[in-house]
Amino acid sequence: MQSKSSKNSTESPKEMTEYYKHLSLFWTDIIHLMSSKPQALTSIGPMRAFAANSKKIAVELIEINEDLVGFNQYITEYYKQLSNTWGIAQKKVNLKSPKIPQDVEQIEAMKRIWIDIFDNDFTELFDSKKFGNNYGSLVSKELELTKHWNNITNVILQSVNLPSKEEIDEVYKEIHSLKKRVSKLELALKKEKRKNAK
Amino acid sequence: MQNESRIDPKIIEEILKFSKNVIDAPKLVAAPDEINLEVTPHEVVQEIDKTRLLHYKPIIETKHKTPLLISYALINRFHILDIHPQKSWVRNLLEQGFEVYMLDWGTPTSMDKYLDFDDYVNGYLDSSVEYIKNQSSTEKISLQGYCTGATIATAYAALHPESVKNYIATAPVIDGWKDTTVISNLAKHMDVDKMVDTIGNMPPEFMYYCFSVLKPFEQGIEKYVKFFKNIDDKKYVDNFLRVEKWLGDTPPIPGELFKQWIKDIYQENLLIQNKMYVGEELIDLKKIDMPMLTQVAVGDHLVSPECSMPLHYAVGSEDKTLKIYPTGHVGMIASSLSQKKVLPEMGTWLSERS
Repeated sequence: MQSKSSKNSTESPKEMTEYYKHLSLFWTDIIHLMSSKPQALTSIGPMRAFAANSKKIAVELIEINEDLVGFNQYITEYYKQLSNTWGIAQKKVNLKSPKIPQDVEQIEAMKRIWIDIFDNDFTELFDSKKFGNNYGSLVSKELELTKHWNNITNVILQSVNLPSKEEIDEVYKEIHSLKKRVSKLELALKKEKRKNAK
Repeated sequence: MQNESRIDPKIIEEILKFSKNVIDAPKLVAAPDEINLEVTPHEVVQEIDKTRLLHYKPIIETKHKTPLLISYALINRFHILDIHPQKSWVRNLLEQGFEVYMLDWGTPTSMDKYLDFDDYVNGYLDSSVEYIKNQSSTEKISLQGYCTGATIATAYAALHPESVKNYIATAPVIDGWKDTTVISNLAKHMDVDKMVDTIGNMPPEFMYYCFSVLKPFEQGIEKYVKFFKNIDDKKYVDNFLRVEKWLGDTPPIPGELFKQWIKDIYQENLLIQNKMYVGEELIDLKKIDMPMLTQVAVGDHLVSPECSMPLHYAVGSEDKTLKIYPTGHVGMIASSLSQKKVLPEMGTWLSERS
């Protein structure tokens, strides 16, 4: 396999990220493998766990970087849409307002025009498919970042022998299911009692 | 220089007055935290998980046999229906001689992320109806749903028609594809599965973002300018702070419930097509056969009239009325118009059938 470091400097940011991901995985894997050899006898268990955890955290951090690139792209587009709409709305306001307001009534009228035009133009933007798509993708990327953070937290939680988010969720799900069954039985019993009392 | 000399001195006067009002504001008005939003006396008669069933104390002798249960929205809290003695929806109904109950959904925590439509419709709402039936020795109650609370109430009325004597749907969220609001556009483009899987409950911050894109300049700037301009007007300031406090207090929405709501109502629009399931039961709107009143606001920018009105045409009721009011989403329930027109008309409709 050709060494990735031998590639020339025309590599794209994505290829660069892939390279560093490979580099990081290579060393964490090697350290992990080495720690399972006889010399690991001296490091007992926790050091092996530390090597495994470091690998997981490293992978998450690299992927966070990848998602940050996407997040930046959508947030740039988000502010571009806002700024374009602002520019267009301001031009419309400029056409309708005097250069220097002469009295209080004129200021009030100008403010009203400004608010109406800006509210209309921004509502049109927020209501558009273009905005909806970009906003949806932006939130989605934000959630990807949160997911990586959750995964890192899970590794830390497990390293101190605490349950992960998934394990806690399983407990919540079980509690919810039990509570639901009990509530339904209680309600059915109440209904039956009322029927019998009649 | 010539232009500067023509500036009206009143402009300077206005600016100085406004600055003075901003400085004086903390001395003149209470902090939102110091305001109590629970105006009308009530007692908590039933508590299940985080939910509370409130029973309002009668103001006059109860004139109507059938009690009314209000299913409030999932967004913000029920206080808007009892925001101020002069604008209280609840108080007005008590003054008309109705017995009023309110279901407060409470504040779900991470532990409640698996609560779904079934828990809300066949659990909390059905338990409340059962309690009221027991207490009032009636077989049926009147049910009112507001906004998303009306989506839950609609599902209930379709699944338990034997328990509902009259149904009032106020700005109900029903036909997501016809909704023309900004909220619906955001909802349609949301990866709700990923959101719920990653963060569990729908966080209040997400709702605050949705509020911020609704008339952003009128609501985000002008509203506060008006507040400081009118800082001496006690009635205006009191009302403003109450509504602001209500707006800034939205609980999280349980993840599973939020997921089903976004997918079934906004993205796949199953409810109006009679394809939505609650638990294992299919919601057939034709099964809503009791007298029904639908209240819609023309200027509603949260739930557009096009989203609410299809319910009127989809139900099986023979006795059904559609009322359209020249106001907005909140104006329909907490304004002088609601006191002078919406509530008296609803009271007359309800009293004829209670």
